[in-house]
Amino acid sequence: MSIPGLAVFYAGLVRNKWIVNTMLMVFTGFSVTLVVWMLWGYNMAFGQLSHFGPTGSFWSGFIGHATPLATASSEQGQTVSGANTLIPFHFPTATFAYFQFTFAAITPLIFLGGLVGRLKFKAWLLIVPLWITVVYCVNAALIWNGGFLAQKGVVDYAGGFVIELSAGVAGFVGAAIVGPRRWQDRENAFPSNLMMTAVGAGILWLGWNGFNGGAVFYAGTNAASAILNTNVSSAVGLLTWVLMDMYFSRQKKATFLGATNGMLCGLVAVTAIAGFVNGIGAMVVGFVSSALVWCSWNYLSRIRPFSQVDDALGVIHTHGFAGLIGGLLIGLVSDPKMAVYGTTGPKFNGPGSFSVGGWFYTHSFHQLWEQFLAALWVAAFTAVGTAFVFYLVKFLVGGLRESDENLALGDIGIHDEEAFPDPTFGEPVGTPSHLHSDNV
Amino acid sequence: MKLVTAIVKPFKLDEVKVAVKEVGVSGMTVSQVRGFGRTGGHIEIYRGKEYEFDFVDKIQIDIVCTDESVDVIVDAIVNAARTDIHGDGKVWVTDVSHVVRIRTDEHGPEAV
Repeated sequence: MSIPGLAVFYAGLVRNKWIVNTMLMVFTGFSVTLVVWMLWGYNMAFGQLSHFGPTGSFWSGFIGHATPLATASSEQGQTVSGANTLIPFHFPTATFAYFQFTFAAITPLIFLGGLVGRLKFKAWLLIVPLWITVVYCVNAALIWNGGFLAQKGVVDYAGGFVIELSAGVAGFVGAAIVGPRRWQDRENAFPSNLMMTAVGAGILWLGWNGFNGGAVFYAGTNAASAILNTNVSSAVGLLTWVLMDMYFSRQKKATFLGATNGMLCGLVAVTAIAGFVNGIGAMVVGFVSSALVWCSWNYLSRIRPFSQVDDALGVIHTHGFAGLIGGLLIGLVSDPKMAVYGTTGPKFNGPGSFSVGGWFYTHSFHQLWEQFLAALWVAAFTAVGTAFVFYLVKFLVGGLRESDENLALGDIGIHDEEAFPDPTFGEPVGTPSHLHSDNV
Repeated sequence: MKLVTAIVKPFKLDEVKVAVKEVGVSGMTVSQVRGFGRTGGHIEIYRGKEYEFDFVDKIQIDIVCTDESVDVIVDAIVNAARTDIHGDGKVWVTDVSHVVRIRTDEHGPEAV
C-alpha cells in the first residue's frame, strides 16, 4: 500500500517539480519506520505493557517496553501481545510485527500528504522516527495492545483512530507549523499525472483488503466479511462523491479526482469498523463518510482554522474526518453478531466473550460514548505530540522548510533529479556526447 | 507589418499576456522552448553520473502587428517580463512581407 501505492498516488497529485521529492519521502519514511519498529517501536506499541502506575490506571497501560526484536525467540516465538486476550495467536512474533509495521508505516506517510511541497527533506528523516515513537506507539498501545482505552471498551478495527484520525490531525498540525507552500505552488496546484493517481488509488484499494482482512488475526468468517465490507464501503463512498459532484458542486460535473477522494473516504471510515458491521452497515459507513467529508472538503475548508492552514493534499478531510466518522459509527451501526470471540459455549459466545454492538442493535449509547472519548484523546494527544515533534526537529535541523531557492526549483534543487529528464537537453559531464564521433 | 518575437521566463507568461492585451493585441502564439544565454545551466545526477543541462525552459511568444503598434507592444512585453535577474530573455522585431487571414482570405494589414 505504501510503496508504491501512496508514493505514486501522491506523486500524481503534486506538481511535476515535486514528484521525486514526494516519492523519496514515502520510500524513506517507510524504511525509517521499519528500523524504528525493529529496534523499539514494536515492543513499545504491542509488547508487554510497562506499569508506571497501579493496575487499571492510565499509567499502567499506555506504552510498552522499548526493547528490540533482536533474538531468535523474539522473532520466532509465538506472538504474545495485549492485542489478543481471548484466543492465543498461532503465529510467530515476526508475522505480527511485520503486519503491524505496515500499519505504523502508512501513518506518517499519510500525514506527509499535508506537508509536501515545502518540508525540508532532512527534517522528514527525523520527524518519522520521533513521531512513531512519541505519538503512534502510545495510541496503538492504548487502543490495540489492551491498554487503558481498550480496557474501557474502546475498539478500533484496523485503525480508524490509531491511523487515520491521528494521521489527519498530524498532517493538519504539521502543515500549520511548517507553513504554507509557495503561493505559486498553491495557485497552480496542477496534478502531475492522473494516471499515476489512478494506479496509486487502485493499489491502495487492493492493499486495504490485506489491512482489514488481516486485522481480525484469524482466517475465518469474520476476516472474509471484513474484506467484503471494506470493498462495498469504498464503492459506495466513491459513488456518493461522484453523485454529489454531479448535483451539488458548482460545476455540476463528475471528476476523477473526486472519485478517488470518495473511494478513500469509504476505505478510511470502514477501517475503523470493517469486521463489526454487516453489509448494509458497511454501505451506511461508505455513504455517511463520503457525504460528510464532501461537505467538509467543499465548505468547512473555507472557514477558519481550515482556510488558514495549507494542508496540501487535504489529509484532515479524507483521513482525519473520515477516520473520525468511521470510529464514531462503531457506536451506532456495529452488529453484535458479526465479530464474536470467546472461550466458552458452543459458538464461543458464552460469558466473557467479545463482540461489539452499536445503538441500532443494543439501544445503548455506551459504545458511542467510549468511542467519542477515545476520539477526543487521539485528536488532542496527536496534536500535542505532533507539535512537540515538529518543534523539536525544527530546533535540531534549523528550520522545517527548504530554502526559497529550492522551493522555486523543486526536485532539481533538492535532489539533482527530475521525474522526466529529457536526454535532448543534457549531456554527461567530463565526456560530453558530442565528442564521440559515432554518437548519432 | 512586423513580427514581434519574445523569449521570456515561463512564469512571466501570464503577466505578458495581460500587458499585451491591454495595449490592444488580439492574438498571440506561444511555444515552450529551451535555450541558453547568460544564465547558467544545472547539473542532474542519475545513478552517480553527472549530467549537465545547459538549456533552460523558456516561453517564446510570437505576435504579428502593424508598423504603428509595434513600439507599444514591445514596451508592454519588456515591462511585464522584467525581473532584473539574469535570464529575463529578449525581444526582437522582424519585417513581415505578407499576412493572410485564412477564414476570410483578407490580405495585408487587415489580416493582422
